[in-house]
Amino acid sequence: MSIRISGDTIHVEGPAQVADAEPLLSALLENPSRTVDLTGAAHLHSAVIQLLLMLRPHRTGNPNDPFYVSQIVPLLDAGQG
Amino acid sequence: MDDLLAQFLIEGRDLVADAQAAITILCDDAGNASAIDRAFRAVHTLKGSVAIFAMAPAERVLHATEEVLERVRKEASALAAGDLARLVATLDQVDRWIDEMEATGELSPAASTIADDLLDADDPVEGTTAEPSGTATTTPAWAEALIAREATTLALAETTLTAFRYTPDKDAFFRGDDPLALVATVPALAALAILPSGGEWPAPDAIDPFACYMVIEGLSGAPRADLQAVFRLVPDQIAFHAIDRIAEAVADTAQQAVTTLRVDAARIDALADGVGELVVTANAFSTVADRAEDVDSDLALAIRAAQADLQRAVGSVRRSVAAVRLVPLAPSLRRLPRLVREIASELGKQVDFTLTGEQAEVDKQIADGLFEPLLHLVRNALDHGIEQPEGRVAAGKPSSGRLSLDIARDGDDLVITLRDDGAGIDPDRIRATAVRRGLIEAEAAEALSEASALGLIFLPGFSTAAQVSGISGRGVGMDAVQAAVDRMRGRIEIDSRIGQGTRFTLRLPTNALTTRLLVVEVGADRYAVPFDQISETARVGSERLMPLGEGIACVLRDRTLPVLSLGGLLGGADCSSLPARLLVTRVSGEPVALRVDGFSERIDAMVRRPSGLLAGMPSVAGTALMGDGGVLLVLNLPELVVA
Repeated sequence: MSIRISGDTIHVEGPAQVADAEPLLSALLENPSRTVDLTGAAHLHSAVIQLLLMLRPHRTGNPNDPFYVSQIVPLLDAGQG
Repeated sequence: MDDLLAQFLIEGRDLVADAQAAITILCDDAGNASAIDRAFRAVHTLKGSVAIFAMAPAERVLHATEEVLERVRKEASALAAGDLARLVATLDQVDRWIDEMEATGELSPAASTIADDLLDADDPVEGTTAEPSGTATTTPAWAEALIAREATTLALAETTLTAFRYTPDKDAFFRGDDPLALVATVPALAALAILPSGGEWPAPDAIDPFACYMVIEGLSGAPRADLQAVFRLVPDQIAFHAIDRIAEAVADTAQQAVTTLRVDAARIDALADGVGELVVTANAFSTVADRAEDVDSDLALAIRAAQADLQRAVGSVRRSVAAVRLVPLAPSLRRLPRLVREIASELGKQVDFTLTGEQAEVDKQIADGLFEPLLHLVRNALDHGIEQPEGRVAAGKPSSGRLSLDIARDGDDLVITLRDDGAGIDPDRIRATAVRRGLIEAEAAEALSEASALGLIFLPGFSTAAQVSGISGRGVGMDAVQAAVDRMRGRIEIDSRIGQGTRFTLRLPTNALTTRLLVVEVGADRYAVPFDQISETARVGSERLMPLGEGIACVLRDRTLPVLSLGGLLGGADCSSLPARLLVTRVSGEPVALRVDGFSERIDAMVRRPSGLLAGMPSVAGTALMGDGGVLLVLNLPELVVA
């Protein structure tokens, strides 16, 4: 498990697998104002990215993989005020 | 006028001109791939532009033309002669419709029928495009959307890009696929988008965290084979599309949008005015330095040094502004080929028209002023020069006449040559006509050289309604051409051989920003004369001035020239200082010497168009502001002499 909830922040740490999608969805549905912190995340499974795209929570921190930083993070941030 | 329409009138005509330029190449080389590309791009963009306005007939014909060009492009074949003719007809028509839009803001009710006629002519061609081979080459909708979305990336791309669309199935996550991890291995990834496969993401409470809802689209600079290797395990979920030149056309436009700026010409003119005054102000320091010289020579030296620096800087700004005002002639002349075709067909004549050198860049003022006189010369050549086909054949010439307009730079001058291989102009007939119309005495007409006799056609009143046909006429004679050329401070020469053809040569200054002027003294007054109206200056003793008839003549370089007093022409006392100072100018091709009292300095100055009362005096070319703040009248010598 790479999902850790601490107060209003959901930390995604290490490689996030397809199995992490369900707890992430629950945490965000429970409290949509939670911030997702990607600091320390490595690989992020498509299922996790897809959730972030669908729910568009506040996001902070960058994963430590250049592909996600250069290609995915801009998509997550697009359209957010 | 609506801003959007104003923009369209400029851009639409540019595009028509661009396509026409490509056609010119295709006429000689129907298989020229880059010309076909160029025509295709122009027509494609034009179709997009007309779609914004109520110009459905134009959109229809352009669409059909685009399809023909698209097919030829994909097949890398040559354009059939019939297609070429239809392409010309379509562009001519669209050009006319753009004129209609400008004049009335809408297309005439006949437009739809005209479009039908053009399309009917296209029928056999449409038949061939209907073959199934056409379908594989069309751009899929997803790629069209992607091209639009990634226009910036495409604009900046240095290589051909391949678009891909990866649609994992809904169970992909279940099966253990991680689509984005696969996409992360795409080489040379230039753009990426993750889109909902159904167009919209599901509502939050309807989300199944293990279902894949995404479609991944992107652009890569890698060869298609490399991409196919990446997606080899999901061949049924992947689609590729090479972004060919359609997208490049879009990209080109996007790139141009960042690097070029359309500026209202009036603002550039204001800038040029400012620079012109700056030049004059810089000149003024000479006077200041002269005055300082009397008081303190060190100070004078310092002023001169500062002036030299200032003049260098001003010179550089002036060159930059002059360069900004330089525009290619092509857009001004773009309508000529069509008008030649129209006029020739109206007259029942066959003409091959060639235009070369239209890319030459000239000052905007020249580009703006050139079209009318050139059109008039062209009309004249088609009407009076080129013979009817049967007449040509009888004279042993090809039935199709040749008319060429060649534009070239010669130093600071622009030289425009219009040649036809028609009947030529008979100087004797010109003499007779001029005498009949009372423009010249029979004796004087006989005395004229052949070249000068031909120059008579430029006299006001030479062409009158009696001989003017519907084509050349429109109420203006060749004197209008002469006047227009004079306004541009240019010169025009005719050379004609009976039975072989006529050549008109226009020589115009390319840089109209500042003008070299010679300041002359007439009694106590000073006037400026544009350098380009002066053939030479001479000082001669009184013994060389001979009375001739009622006037005075002088032999200069073995030619006898009439000598007129500038003072007298200006309505004052005749110039009488000795030795006599003569300024030789040309009036309708003939040299005339004007006597002045003195030659003063040569200056570069901005000549302002005459305004107010002066505007009604053709003999005044304008005014020039001098370094000392004074204003000089700039004379237009040919007008002054004729008047």
